[in-house]
Amino acid sequence: MIKNMKKAVIVFIVAVLVLATVGVWIFSSSGNFKPTDILSFGVIILVVAFAVFIGIRRLTSAKRGEPPEDELSKKVMRKTSSLSYYISLYLWLVIMYFSDRLDYETHAIIGAGILGMAVVFAVCWLVFNFTGIRHE
Amino acid sequence: MNNRIKEFRARNNLTQEDLAKKVKVRRETIVFLEKNKYNPSLKLAYDIARVFDAKIEEIFLFE
Repeated sequence: MIKNMKKAVIVFIVAVLVLATVGVWIFSSSGNFKPTDILSFGVIILVVAFAVFIGIRRLTSAKRGEPPEDELSKKVMRKTSSLSYYISLYLWLVIMYFSDRLDYETHAIIGAGILGMAVVFAVCWLVFNFTGIRHE
Repeated sequence: MNNRIKEFRARNNLTQEDLAKKVKVRRETIVFLEKNKYNPSLKLAYDIARVFDAKIEEIFLFE
C-alpha cells in the first residue's frame, strides 16, 4: 500500500513541478501571449489534470487495499502504449510536413510534438479505460 | 462470452469490492467483467469460480 501511495505522491509532485514551470514561464514572459501560447497552456493544464486524475485513482485504490495494477489495468496500459505509439508516428509525420511551411522555432515544434504525444496517450488511455477490452 | 458473475455474487451476498479483494483485482475489473466489457484470463476465471465454489463453465458462458 505504501509503495502504491508513493507512486501517487510522485505523480502529484511531477504535476506541481509542471505547473510551477508553466507559472515561471507566464511570469517571465512579457505578457503578450500569442494564441499558440494560450493553446499550449490549455493542453499542459489538460495533461496535468490527467496526471492528477491518475494519482487520485491510485490513492483511492491504496486506501481500499486494492492492488495498484491488475490484469485489466496492465492490458489497458499495453494497448494504450501500442496505439499511442502508432498514432504518434503519424503525428510526427504531420509535424514534419508542416514544419517547413510554418514559421516556428525548432524548440517550439518539438515541444508541440511532445505535448501532442502526451495528449494522444491520455486520450487512448481514457478510451480503453472506459470502453473496456473485449474478445482478446 | 457472457457471464453470470452478478447473479452468483448476489447469491453469495458479496459486493463487487468483496469479490475484487478475494480474487486480488481492482473493483473496476469486476465492473467491466459484469458488463461483459472484458474477457478475463483463465487464472482470473478460475479464481472467480473458486470463490463461488462453482465450475468455470457455470459462470462463464461461451457463445
